[in-house]
Amino acid sequence: MNPALLDKRLLIVTGKGGVGKTTIATALALESARSGKRTLICEVNTKERVTQLLGKPEAGPTVTSLEENLWAVNVRPEEAMREYALMVLKFESIYSAVFENRVVRYFLRFIPSLQELVLLGKILFHLKEKRPDGSFRFDRVIIDAPATGHAITFLSVPQVIVDTVPPGAMSTDAQWMRDLLVDAKTTAVVLVSLPEELPVNETLELHQALKDRVKLTSQLVVLNGFIPTRFTDAELAAEQSSLVFDTMRAHQARSKLSLASLQTLEKLGLPVQLVPRIFNGEFGRSAIEQVVAKLSGADA
Amino acid sequence: MSTPIRDAMASADVLITVGSGGVGKTTVAATLALRAAMEGTGSMVCTIDPAKRLANALGLEALGNKEARIPAETFAAAGLSPRAPMYAMMLDIKRSWDELVERRAPADKREKILNNRFYQALSTALAGSQEYIAMEKMWELHGQAKYPLLVVDTPPTAHALDFLDAPNRILDFLDNDAAKWLLTPALAAGKFGLKLFNLGGSYVAKTIARFTGTETLQQLADFMLNITSLTESFRERAHQTRSLLQAPTTAFVLVTGPMPERLDEAVYFHTLLQQNKMRVAAVVVNRIHAPVPAALWDEVARMSGPLQAKLEQTLKENDLLATQDAKGIERLRELCAPTPLVLVPRFELDVHDLKGVWETSRYLWGDAQVDAAKATR
Repeated sequence: MNPALLDKRLLIVTGKGGVGKTTIATALALESARSGKRTLICEVNTKERVTQLLGKPEAGPTVTSLEENLWAVNVRPEEAMREYALMVLKFESIYSAVFENRVVRYFLRFIPSLQELVLLGKILFHLKEKRPDGSFRFDRVIIDAPATGHAITFLSVPQVIVDTVPPGAMSTDAQWMRDLLVDAKTTAVVLVSLPEELPVNETLELHQALKDRVKLTSQLVVLNGFIPTRFTDAELAAEQSSLVFDTMRAHQARSKLSLASLQTLEKLGLPVQLVPRIFNGEFGRSAIEQVVAKLSGADA
Repeated sequence: MSTPIRDAMASADVLITVGSGGVGKTTVAATLALRAAMEGTGSMVCTIDPAKRLANALGLEALGNKEARIPAETFAAAGLSPRAPMYAMMLDIKRSWDELVERRAPADKREKILNNRFYQALSTALAGSQEYIAMEKMWELHGQAKYPLLVVDTPPTAHALDFLDAPNRILDFLDNDAAKWLLTPALAAGKFGLKLFNLGGSYVAKTIARFTGTETLQQLADFMLNITSLTESFRERAHQTRSLLQAPTTAFVLVTGPMPERLDEAVYFHTLLQQNKMRVAAVVVNRIHAPVPAALWDEVARMSGPLQAKLEQTLKENDLLATQDAKGIERLRELCAPTPLVLVPRFELDVHDLKGVWETSRYLWGDAQVDAAKATR
C-alpha cells in the first residue's frame, strides 16, 4: 500500500464521475485486506458495484464478509436511520412506536442533511466499533465516496450540522464525526483522476474545496488509466504509411496528455500514484487484480 | 433526412440532457444548442457546472444566472456563422434560491426566510436542491418564450430519481398533512416561536427532541411557518414543471459512455424516464473507440522488429476497446429499444472548444457516422 496511506484507518476515495473511484477503492480494499488489515469497504447509497467487481454476491445494507479480512456494505438511508435511531433510543419498541409514526417520519426526512448524517454516521461508527477484546472490529474503513460536488456536500454535512443545529444528539454526533474526518492521523482522502484535461482540473478544484470547505487534507492522488510513452518522435518522423503514422500519433497524443496530466497533478505537492490503463476484455475480478498489482508495485 | 436528433429538434422546444457524471453530458448540451443555432433556430443552453474551458468557449466567465449571447467573433474564430443567436447561462444554485424567495414570498416574510438556518441548508447543502432549482430555471426560461430551443443540462446525479423527484420532494416538504397537523394551531394563533411540543402529543415530541434537540424543532417550526406562505406557488410550480417534463414538446437526451460500468446506469435511467412518461428522443453513446481497419492490421503484419511489436500491441489494445464498446452498444440497443442510439466517436483530445463542439454535432445531427461495420460485428 502506498506509504501515504499505510497508517490511516479511514480512506475516503473520491474524484470526478467516471474516473474509476470504485475500481480504485475496491483495489485498495483488496490490497489492505491482503496486508492483514481487517478492512471494510463502504458504498454510499448507490447501485452496488464493489461486490460485482470482486465476483461476489451483493452485500446490501448489512456488513457482509467477502473473503479473508474483507467486508463490504452499501449504506442506505432507511436502514442507517433505523440503526441510528435505535442507538440513540436504545429500545426497539420505542423505535417502532415513534419512528413508524408518519408525523415523525415527515420531520426526520426534512431535517436538513439528517439522511447524509446517518449514512456517514453508520460508516464512522464502524470505524470506532470495538470487539469484545477491546481491539477495533475493523482496522481500516474505505469509503467509495460520491463524485466531486456530492462528495463535498456529503463530507461537509457534519460541519454544517455543527454550525446550524443547536445542541442535541444530532449535533453531538455531528461533532465527533467532524473531528474524526478532519483528524489527519486517522483519515486520508484519495483523489482519483484520469489523464485528461477535465478530470485533472476537477481534481485540483476538488483538492482545494475539500481543504477550504471541509478542512480535509488529501494524502494521495491516483492517476488512473495512465498511458506510458510508447513511440518516439524519431519513429514517427520515419514512418511512411499514413495509416500506421496515425495510429502512432494518436497513441503519442494520449501518452503526452498522460504526462502533462501527471505534471499538473504533481503541482499539488502530493504523491501521485500511477495506475496504467488496464486492457482487459472483461471488467471484473481479473481487472481489479491487475490494478492491485499496479498499486502494490509502487511500494518497491 | 430524418435522424433522431433532427426529429427531436423539430418537435421539441425543450431538450434535457441527462446521465451520470463524466460522460460528456454538458458537451452534448452545448452541441445541441450550437447545432440548432447553426440551423437557424435560436437557442439557449442552461448548464450547471461546465468545465472551465467549455465555459470559456461559450463565453461564460463566471456563474451568476446571466444570459450571455455568444459573440459573433467567437463563432468566427471557430469558422462558424450561425443563422440564429445562441445564448448560454451558468446556473448559480444559491442565488437562484434567493431570487425565488425574493420573488415569491410576501415582503414581511422574506428576510425571516432568507436568514433562517434551515433555509440556508435547504438552498445550499440539501441534497436535491440543485436538481430542484434547475427545474425551476427551466420553467422560468421556458415561460419567457425568448428562445425557440431551450437546452437544459442537469446536474450529474448519483441517483436518477433525485432529479425527477426534486419538485415533488420540495412539495412534500411544504405541503404535507403531517406538517399541517402540527402547525395548524400555530397558524391559527398567527404567531411564531410557538411551543411546538404543546401540539403534537408530548411522547412523540419528546422522542424526536432526543434526536435533534428541542431547539432544532422549534427553529424548524419557525421556518415552516414562514415558508408556508410559499407553499401555494411551490405546489403550482411543481405541477407545472412535471407537466412540462411530460409535454410532447419536451424531449430527453440520455448521454452515456459505451463502457460496461456506465451501461447499467444508463439503462436504469432510461427505464425510469419511461416509467415517468417522459419522452427519450435518443440515447447518445459518447466517446466510442474506432475499430481497427483491416488494412492497418495487414500493414503492421508486414513490418518487423521492435516497432512492429509495439504497433501490434497498440492495435490489440485499440481492438479490445473497440470490441468492448461494440458489445456495450449492442446491449444498450437491446435494453433501450425502441429508443434510437446516436453514436459519437472518441476524439483524439477532449472536446472543449467550439470547433470540437461543432465536430461532435456532425455525429449528433447525422452528417457523419461512426463506422458501423465493427459496431455490429
